[in-house]
Amino acid sequence: MARTTKLTLKKLDTLHNNGPFPLKILYKTKLEGSGVMPSKLDRYNDAANEIQRLIKETHNQNEGFRAYGSAWSMSNIAHQKDRMHFNAHMNLRSNFMDQDLHALSPYRADNIFMLQCGNTIKEVSEFLEEHGKSLKTTGASNGQTIAGCISTGVHGSALGVGSVQDYVVGINLIIGPDPGDIVYLERHTKPTLNDVFVQKMKARVIRNDGLFNAALVGLGAFGFIHGVVIEAQNIFLLKRYVKKIDKKVALQLAESMDFKNSSFKINGETDSNGKGKTPYHYKIFINQYSKDQSKCVVECIYKKPYVQSYPDPFPIIKESLYGDLINLVIKISQKFPKAIPAFVKMLEKSILPEVNEETTGTLAETFWDAPYQGPAFACSFGVDHKDSSKALELLAELTKSDGPIPGIFAMRFVKQSQATLSFAKFPTTCMIEIDGVLWEKSKKLIGLKEFSTLMIKTLKANGIPFTIHWGKCADWGFKSLVEYMYGDQATTWKTYRSALLSKPMQKLFSNGFLETTGLAKKEDEIPEDLIASLA
Amino acid sequence: MKLSRLFLLILSCFFFSLLLLQSCYSVRIRSEQGAYEPEAPLVREDYYRGMAVVELDTVISIGATSKDFTLLIKRSELCPSAKLHTIEYKNTLGSVLLSAVTFGRKRKVKIKYVCMKDNPN
Repeated sequence: MARTTKLTLKKLDTLHNNGPFPLKILYKTKLEGSGVMPSKLDRYNDAANEIQRLIKETHNQNEGFRAYGSAWSMSNIAHQKDRMHFNAHMNLRSNFMDQDLHALSPYRADNIFMLQCGNTIKEVSEFLEEHGKSLKTTGASNGQTIAGCISTGVHGSALGVGSVQDYVVGINLIIGPDPGDIVYLERHTKPTLNDVFVQKMKARVIRNDGLFNAALVGLGAFGFIHGVVIEAQNIFLLKRYVKKIDKKVALQLAESMDFKNSSFKINGETDSNGKGKTPYHYKIFINQYSKDQSKCVVECIYKKPYVQSYPDPFPIIKESLYGDLINLVIKISQKFPKAIPAFVKMLEKSILPEVNEETTGTLAETFWDAPYQGPAFACSFGVDHKDSSKALELLAELTKSDGPIPGIFAMRFVKQSQATLSFAKFPTTCMIEIDGVLWEKSKKLIGLKEFSTLMIKTLKANGIPFTIHWGKCADWGFKSLVEYMYGDQATTWKTYRSALLSKPMQKLFSNGFLETTGLAKKEDEIPEDLIASLA
Repeated sequence: MKLSRLFLLILSCFFFSLLLLQSCYSVRIRSEQGAYEPEAPLVREDYYRGMAVVELDTVISIGATSKDFTLLIKRSELCPSAKLHTIEYKNTLGSVLLSAVTFGRKRKVKIKYVCMKDNPN
C-alpha cells in the first residue's frame, strides 16, 4: 500500500519565497515498493486509492485539498489553506504498445508516454532519452513537475510548439473519493488510449474536446491530476546563439516573426537563398535602465538533427551567479532606490547570458538545472506579438517613472494553445516578463503589489489586450481581471468544471486564488451532455 | 625601530589571517544527470533549497592498520535511493591540524550531501 505522512504545519512557502501561505496539514505520499507490488499499473492504481482516501478524510473534515509539486509558482495558485498534498514522490512513468492505443488514434505508440504527476521535467527528459525521444518544449528549466507545468500553463519560447500542456494528449484525474471518481480525459477528435487500457487504470473515460481543453490548464481546480499521457518526439539537438543586436531589429522581429526578410542573420542559419531561418526559440533581453538603448541581447536557438557527438555544453550552461551578492545589493537598494539602475547595470553580465555564447545540446541539456538564487519575483504578461513593442515600451517606461524595480525585462514567444484558460491565447503570444529579486516596499521604493496593479492599469489604459501567467506575481484581485483577459472563455471553463465536479468537490478543490479571481464560482446553467464522452 | 617591528607584526597577523581564511573552503560536486530528492516543506534558504540534505559533522577514527576510510551512504528517509546527486565537503585549518597532530588517525568529516530522487520505475 502507498504510505502517506501527515505533517501538521502553520504555513508553507514557495521555492522563491513568495509566501508564506497558511496551511494546516501537509500530506506526503510514497508509493508501494516494487518488491511488494511489481506491476507499475498496480502501484499506480494503489496510489489512486490512497489519494481517494485522503480526499475522503479531508471531505469528512469539511476542508479543502490541493496538490503541489516543486512549489515553483510565485502566485498562491497552488495553495490551499487547509490541506495540501506533496506529490513529488508519485513518479511512475511508462511507455505504450500499439495494442494500448485507440483504433482512431493519430499518434504513434512509440511517441506516447504515461507520466505520474510528480515526475519533474528532468526525470521525464531522462526517461524519454532512454527511448530516443524528447519533450517538444519545456519551461526553459527542468525542476517543475509535469502536473504543475500543465496546471499553470508553463511555457518556453518555442515558436512553433507552444506550451507544455500542448503535447498532453490524456489526463487522468481523481475528482472525488468514490469508485466512479477516477476519470480519464482525452480529445474525442484525437483519442489516444483504448478503453481496455483505461479500464486497467480503473478509470471512466470521457472523450470530449471541450472538457479536455478546459481541464488542460485546470489551475488545480479540476481535481487531483494523477497522471498525464504525452506525445513526445524523436530526440533532437538545439544550437543556441546569444547575440547583441540592434534593438529596433530585435523588436521588429518580435512584431513580424519574419526571420526570412530580416536584416538579422546568423552565419550557418540561413537557407539556400541566404535568407534567415526561423529559429526554434527566440528570446529578447532588455535592460530598461541601460544608457545604451540602441542594442539588446537576443537568444536564438535552432533545431538540429540528433547526432551522438557534439561539444559538451555544460561548461557554459552551468555558469550562474549565486544569489547572495544580488540579495546584498537589493538590501542596499531598499534604502537607496536610485542605486538600482546602476546595480542592475553592474549585474547585467551575471543576469544576462554571455554575448556571442554558442552551445549545442539536447533540450534537456540546454535548459538544465536552475539553481535557487534567493527570493525572487517575476511578472509575466501575454500580449499578441504584434503589440509586443508597444507593450514593452509602456511597461519599461513604468519601471522608470514609478520604479525603479530590481529586475530586467525579457520577451518570449509562444504558439497559441488550445487550452481554454491558457495565457498563450493569441496566435503567437509574446510573454513580456520582468524577473528579478524580491524586494520589500519602503518609503522610497514602490511595492510589488502596487507595481503589479500599475502594470495592469497601464496595459488596459492603452487598449492592449493581455493575459497574465497564472503562476507568477500579479494583482490577482484586480477588478474583473479574468473576465477582461478571457471573456466568455472564463465562463466556459467554469461551466465545464461545474459539470465535471460535484458541488462538494468543487469546494474541496477550490482555494483562495480561485476565489480572488472569481473562478471558484459554480455555474448553474450546464447544457445537457456537455461532458458526454463523444467517441 | 619599534614602529617597524609593530608594522611587521601587524603584517604577519594579516597574512596569517588570510592564510586561515584561505584554508577554510568548500567544494561541491554535483551530478549532471538525475533529479535530487526533494524536501517538503521547504525550509532551507541556501543553494540547497528544495533538496533533502543530509549533513554530517563528525570526527572519524582510523585504526593504526587501516590505510583509508569509506563512509557508506545508506538508505534513509532523506536518502531513499542511497545514490548521490550532490556532495559538498568543507575543509578547515582545524581539520588539517587535527589530522596532522594525530598522524591521520583522526579526521574531521564535514559534509553535506543530497541523494538522487528515488526511482520507482
